[in-house]
Amino acid sequence: MKTTKLSLILTLIATFVLSSVAVMAQDQTEVRISWWGSQTRHDLTIAAIELYEELHPEIDIVYEFQGWGDHWTKLATQAAGGELPDIMQHDYARIEEWVNNGLLLPLDSYIEDGVIDTTNIADSSLAGGLVDGELYGINLGNNSENFTLDADAFEAAGIEIPADDWTWNDFEEIAMKLHEELGIYAIDAGITTEQLWKSTYMSCCDSWAYNEDGTALGYDDDQPLIDYYNMLLRLQEAGAMQSYEENVAMGDQGVEANLIVPQEAAMAYFWSNQIVAVWGAAGEDRNLIMHTVPRVEGGQPQNYIKPSMFFSITSQAKQPDEAAAFIDWFVNSIEANEILSAERGVPVSSVVRDAMAPTLGAAQAEMFRYLGVIENNNSPIRPADPAGHADIQNNVWGPEFVEPIMFGLITPEEGAAILREEATRILGQ
Amino acid sequence: MAESVITLPKTKRKKSSKFGQHNLVGYLFISPWLITFFLFTFIPLFVSLILAFTDFNVLANSGDFIGLDNFNRMFNEDRRYWKSVYATVKYVVFAVPLRLIFALAVAMLLNTTRRGIGIYRAAFYAPSIVGGSIAVAVMWREIFGNEGLVNFVLGLVGIVGPNWLGRPETAIWTLIILAAWQFGSPMLIFLAGLKNIPKALYESAEIDGANGWNKFRHITIPMLTPIIFFNLIMQMISGFMVFTQAFIITGGRPLDTTLFYALYIYRRAFENFEMGYASAMAWVMLLVIAILTAVVFRSSSYWVHYEADEGN
Repeated sequence: MKTTKLSLILTLIATFVLSSVAVMAQDQTEVRISWWGSQTRHDLTIAAIELYEELHPEIDIVYEFQGWGDHWTKLATQAAGGELPDIMQHDYARIEEWVNNGLLLPLDSYIEDGVIDTTNIADSSLAGGLVDGELYGINLGNNSENFTLDADAFEAAGIEIPADDWTWNDFEEIAMKLHEELGIYAIDAGITTEQLWKSTYMSCCDSWAYNEDGTALGYDDDQPLIDYYNMLLRLQEAGAMQSYEENVAMGDQGVEANLIVPQEAAMAYFWSNQIVAVWGAAGEDRNLIMHTVPRVEGGQPQNYIKPSMFFSITSQAKQPDEAAAFIDWFVNSIEANEILSAERGVPVSSVVRDAMAPTLGAAQAEMFRYLGVIENNNSPIRPADPAGHADIQNNVWGPEFVEPIMFGLITPEEGAAILREEATRILGQ
Repeated sequence: MAESVITLPKTKRKKSSKFGQHNLVGYLFISPWLITFFLFTFIPLFVSLILAFTDFNVLANSGDFIGLDNFNRMFNEDRRYWKSVYATVKYVVFAVPLRLIFALAVAMLLNTTRRGIGIYRAAFYAPSIVGGSIAVAVMWREIFGNEGLVNFVLGLVGIVGPNWLGRPETAIWTLIILAAWQFGSPMLIFLAGLKNIPKALYESAEIDGANGWNKFRHITIPMLTPIIFFNLIMQMISGFMVFTQAFIITGGRPLDTTLFYALYIYRRAFENFEMGYASAMAWVMLLVIAILTAVVFRSSSYWVHYEADEGN
């Protein structure tokens, strides 16, 4: 008696479980996506995803998002476990490393079949996603570095907005004056990023931090880098730039915590697409002007147009076709981009740009205007960073170069020598 | 006599089959733990030992055998390695004794039978329960941040607080203080040890005219030495493995003064994808902790007093 009762209950449970599993399997196709960004981006992207799910009820998009650093750590772990999502957000500085390890799918076939429609996207916008002639990422927005100026602060200090071809010497003068007149910082310590190392050599010497094949440094003369860091030390000493130790104590709170937001700094440096988040946090009534990056004295423009980020389809994707369809919608749909508010940069589709132009908010309008200025005022983009770049950035640039210099433990000359030695060793591997 | 010779083998067989049965049942009961131990501890340990001699890369999912190269690189070429070792050793040298001192002090205070003493004990133990959690680390970051609680309180008294987390001199101390604050576990163990000291010893000492310090030095401490020994070993081992606090609160910065060894291993393994190198680092740490533990064990015969022994 006991056994029949027990087996009856077990059969009922089994039927229930198996049937519900079968129902779930027929129901929806699951597409997984992972991106990095700040809270603004997370909210906007999720809203766009929900719209896509409404339009395509048979698709269930499972998303994950995290900060920049965690994104790479998490996805590398997933790659090792064979658990990569279908779509991952990718970056110009990292895409080559991932392609070399066979982790991304080439997208050319999707473009040829028209699944991803690129008729309204300029070739120059797509070029950034090419590795060895094949396309591995769809550009989500065009970008350039910028110095955002607080127009009200400049006015209060009696300083004119500088010309587009202003130099680092002009910048230092203006920064010192801003600090003198207003008592606030001219800028936060974020200008110690390796990004400005790379573009300095683009500006002064028509090269780049790395050489073309990424096997060694792309320059022989350390002086421009040394001059730049001597300038930063002078600014830090005078209190015109936020002290490095204060910047460390602040930690990585996202671009919305930039000092220009609470008006503790008169200038800010970030990627042009980040103006959306910064202006949103600063408040609509602010007067922020996006301005070119200063250039080296007598050099080329230090700006270049870069794909802000890509969506790539991973080689472990379970639903690559659905993934391609989603990416196509993300980049070409006007409704999607209206939700996304150009937070990832100026949309690459001309149709989308034209449709959005009349209804842009202050931040987006400023970004569009700025990219227009940069289009006439830029140096050509250099090849994607070599595979050793992440290693150099994590283990040499911060802990062995920037921090010892900014804390006064070594001189910029000594730092440049260490950087050269370590970077050459890593790139030569 | 012939009978006993015949019966003996029979009894033996019965006993062995019962013994075998009991063994099997025992293994069955611990099989969940045994399986997970094998899968998640023993096999990964073994694999990491092999990886330590390769240049396995997580992203490439492949690696070649490179012999002792990882160890050579670690000791001779890696600039951050020795900074990491120094930071970890400094942390252990200060955090472990501080934690044990606080634990003993508070345990002695709580060693009464007042009413409501249970509440106090729970209150003092509470920080340890939330222990190595992310929430506490985030909170600690806020407390010592630029506009955090500590600087706010100092500001009330007119002192401009430094950037605790930003200055190389102070960053590691925020972590050491966090460790000292979480003294709950060793405190409870000290409390148990204190309760085991026979009151008779204190009473006879008082009759002989001993004051508080004498009683502490000549009765409490010697009687507690087994507990101190245990706590020292446990805290030292977990001190070397500190990770969460450094990861969340300082991220190893500034100037790698808080780049604790476990954090550096994590960075190398998961941010640089150098799993082979990280495995080599992990085995070096295992060896170091094992050696230090052995040293403490050896020394214990000189200073640990077990009640069964005669003399001092």
